[in-house]
Amino acid sequence: MKRRVVITGLGIVSPLGNTPELFYDNLIAGKSGIRRMTSEFVEKLDTKIAAYADFNPQDHFTRHQYSALDRVSQFSLYAAQQAIADAKLDMENIDRTRTGVYLGTGMGGANSIEEGYVRLYRDGAERLKPFTVLMAMNNAACSQIGLEYKLSGPNLTFSTACSSSAVAIGEAMRQIRHGYTDVMLAGGSEALLTFGTIKAWEALRTLAKEDANDPGASCKPFAADRTGLVLGEGAAVLILEDYEYAKARGANIYAEISGYGTANDGVHITSPTPEGQAVAIRAALKDAELNPKDIGYINAHGTATTMNDISETAAIRQVFGEFANQTPVSSTKSMHGHLMGAAAAVEIVATTLALQHQILPPTINLHQPDEKCDLDYIPNVARKNVSVIHAMSNSFAFGGTGAVLILSKESH
Amino acid sequence: MTDTLKIISQLIADKLEVDVETIKPESNLTELGMDSLDTFDIIFSAEDTFNIKVPNDKVDIATVQDVANLADALISEQHPK
Repeated sequence: MKRRVVITGLGIVSPLGNTPELFYDNLIAGKSGIRRMTSEFVEKLDTKIAAYADFNPQDHFTRHQYSALDRVSQFSLYAAQQAIADAKLDMENIDRTRTGVYLGTGMGGANSIEEGYVRLYRDGAERLKPFTVLMAMNNAACSQIGLEYKLSGPNLTFSTACSSSAVAIGEAMRQIRHGYTDVMLAGGSEALLTFGTIKAWEALRTLAKEDANDPGASCKPFAADRTGLVLGEGAAVLILEDYEYAKARGANIYAEISGYGTANDGVHITSPTPEGQAVAIRAALKDAELNPKDIGYINAHGTATTMNDISETAAIRQVFGEFANQTPVSSTKSMHGHLMGAAAAVEIVATTLALQHQILPPTINLHQPDEKCDLDYIPNVARKNVSVIHAMSNSFAFGGTGAVLILSKESH
Repeated sequence: MTDTLKIISQLIADKLEVDVETIKPESNLTELGMDSLDTFDIIFSAEDTFNIKVPNDKVDIATVQDVANLADALISEQHPK
C-alpha cells in the first residue's frame, strides 16, 4: 500500500512578494510583478522588463554568509527557512537520515558564472574567486539547504528547464510514498536575470515586447495580442510529509499530492506537441486514480508563447474531452512571469493556496483570446466561492520534459 | 601596525562583519571562524588590493600577521621600489 504524501509548509521568494500570504493576495488581486528593470546593463538589452524579486541578501544573511552564496542559493535558503517555520518542524529532533531535499533549477548559479566571465574576459583577471565553482554549480542551491539543516537524507538537483521543480516535487513525493523518507523539502530556485542570460533568451525570440501603456501588462497568456514570455526569478520550497507522520505530530495540512506524471515529447527541443503533453497529463491522472471530470482547476504552464499556449490548450482538450469546457484554467505567469526552474514550485504554492481558500487566481491581460485558445482561462478577475477538490499544475519544458502534479484537499 | 597589516585586518573584519579592533595580528584565521576557502578569499582580495599575485604554493598561512607578511614580501618582490 502506497503512503499518502501531504504538503505541510510553504516558503517563497517571488516577484509578487516574499511570503506565501503576500504572494497569494497579490495573485488574487490580479497584480503584476513584471516591471522595468533597473540594472546597469538594461540599456544594452532589447527587453527591458522582467519579473524580479525584491530580495536584499543583507536582510537575511551576514556578509560572510551571502558572499559565498549565489543569488539562487540565497533564494532557496530563505524559502526553505520559511517553509520549515510554517510547518513547525522540529529540526533539532527530526530524523535527519529520513529527511531529504529535492530542488529544481534550470541555470543554477548564473550570476556567479557571468561574474567569472566578466572578470576573466572583460577585466583581464588571471584568476577567479575561490568560491566560484561552489557558488555556480547547479546543485549548490539544494546542497546549501542540506548543509544548513544538517540533513543526510537524499539531496538531489533536477534540471529539466521549465519543468525542473515539478519533477523535483514529484520525485520527492515518490521518496516518501515508497517509504525511503518521511519528510522532504522540495521545490525550485532560479536567479537568471543576468545580462548574458537575458541576451541569450533574446536570441531565442520568445521574450515579450513591453506593453506600451503598462509594463506590468506585458505577459498575455492565451491572448490574441500576446508577444511572448517574461523572464522572472525567485524560489519556492514546500515541506512534504508522510500523511501519518504529519498527523501524528499535529501538523497543519495544506493539501495532498495525489498524482504525478512525467513524459517527454521526444520530438523537438523547443516545439512541444499536444500528444507529448497529453502523455504527462494522463500519467498524473492515472497516478492519482482520478478522471478529467474530477479536476476542478488547472494551473497551466501558460507561457504566453504561441507554441505553448496552442499546444497546451490542445493537450488539455485531448485528455479532458467533453469536460475541457467545464474546467477552469489560469496562467499565473501573467503576473509572476516565468521563473524557469522555479516556475512549477511557485505555481504549486499558488495552486495549494487556491485549494485552501477556494479562490482561483486569474489570467490577467486576457481581453481577447486567441481563437485557438478556447478554454475557460479565468480572464482578468479571480474566481471566488468555487468548490474545487482536485487541482492540476502543468509544466512543459524546453527539451520536451513535461511534468504534471495533482493536488487534492486533504479531506477528499 | 604596518599599513599592510591594517589593510589586511580591515579586509578580514569586512568579510566577517566584525569590528576591526577585534582582529589582532596574532589572531588565528581558523579561530576567527574562517575555513580554507575563506582564507583563499582573503588572499584573492589581497591580490586585488595590492596588485600582487600569490603563487599557489605560498598559501600556507595561519594568522593575520602571516597574511600581511606574505603580502609585504610579494609587494617587494613584484613591485620593487
